Amino acid sequence: MLRRVAAFQDRQAFQELFAHFAPRIKAYLVRGGTASQQAEDLAQEAMLAVWRKAAQFDSNRASAATWIFTIARNLRIDMHRRERHPRFDPADPFFMPDSPDPADSALQTRQREHQLRKAIQALPPDQFRIVMLSFFSEKPHSQIAAELDIPLGTVKSRIRLAMMRLKTLLGDES
Amino acid sequence: MTIRHHPKDSLRLAYVAGQMDPATALIMATHLSLCAQCRAAAADDECIGGALLEGAEPMPLRSDALARVMARLGAPEAIHRTEPSADGTPAPLRAFLGHELSCVRWRRLGPRLGYVTLYRRGSLAMRLLRGAPGTEVGQHTHRGTEYTVVLRGGYSDESGNYGPGDFQIASADLTHNPVADVGEDCINLAVTDGGLQFRSRVQNVVASLFGF
Ligand SMILES: [Zn+2]
Repeated sequence: MLRRVAAFQDRQAFQELFAHFAPRIKAYLVRGGTASQQAEDLAQEAMLAVWRKAAQFDSNRASAATWIFTIARNLRIDMHRRERHPRFDPADPFFMPDSPDPADSALQTRQREHQLRKAIQALPPDQFRIVMLSFFSEKPHSQIAAELDIPLGTVKSRIRLAMMRLKTLLGDES
Repeated sequence: MTIRHHPKDSLRLAYVAGQMDPATALIMATHLSLCAQCRAAAADDECIGGALLEGAEPMPLRSDALARVMARLGAPEAIHRTEPSADGTPAPLRAFLGHELSCVRWRRLGPRLGYVTLYRRGSLAMRLLRGAPGTEVGQHTHRGTEYTVVLRGGYSDESGNYGPGDFQIASADLTHNPVADVGEDCINLAVTDGGLQFRSRVQNVVASLFGF
């Protein structure tokens, strides 16, 4: 669908993308601590950026959800910082040689993400919560620890455990 | 280029999740530009972010949200391509500097050391450092964590040898005396939180004069 948006500037496809992703972006922001009104505005801005940048989407590199996650994340960073925030450009010609090129990598990417989603849902609740917070929250781990009333070391070890579990699964898939 | 020293998973995760100060984000982005292994790991981290987004419980937008966005749809952007660097400066660093590494105007810190401070906020400082071959920085500890990415040349200290692309994490408990390798000048990007504490009193005075 995102490719239809990119190739044909397809407004119908964009509306479908909007219906699916805008409410999820808003949820991502609100769960991370962004005020509801601001999350609403930012979700709209993120979808506008999806339209504007659709030509940059590369389905071999990431799924639509992953790409849109990075767009929403970058907008969230920019909202909080007046300074320009450095980020690296995955399309930098400097490291083009190692980017994936097999024709079936788009399918692999989708399968990988599907597996991941299942694995995330299967995480023990305390690990799930911490992974969710570490991705969605704007707060550093020390603050997450204070809010959950658990030691910082526990936050870090839960994240590590959860990530290891997810990575093992990704490793097995590839 | 063989990179043997990488940032910890937790640091990479914080970068991917977007919870990082600009200085640490730049040093991470610079390492990612140089390190295929960490790029692949970061892509996996983003994939987890995508899966979490996909699995998030949707939160309805205002009823007029779609109409408002549709009314604002303009022309899509052309594909943006990063221009290749003439001297191999990692793109995020070049974007931050506004020019290539070879155009940096170094400030002298003695005859064999140069530096430029790129960023300062509270106790956090980011600098480019340049040492002539064989230069010793001097025995020092850190008041907080120090991250270093090697851009050119290399250096060695008590913990090992660091070459182009390597990422050193020097925690507050590490005392080291980095020495630039022989051959070419060693150029590093470093982020320190809390400054350096030299063993030599003279060096401490010099360091504080220069704001280290
Ligand atoms: Zn690495």
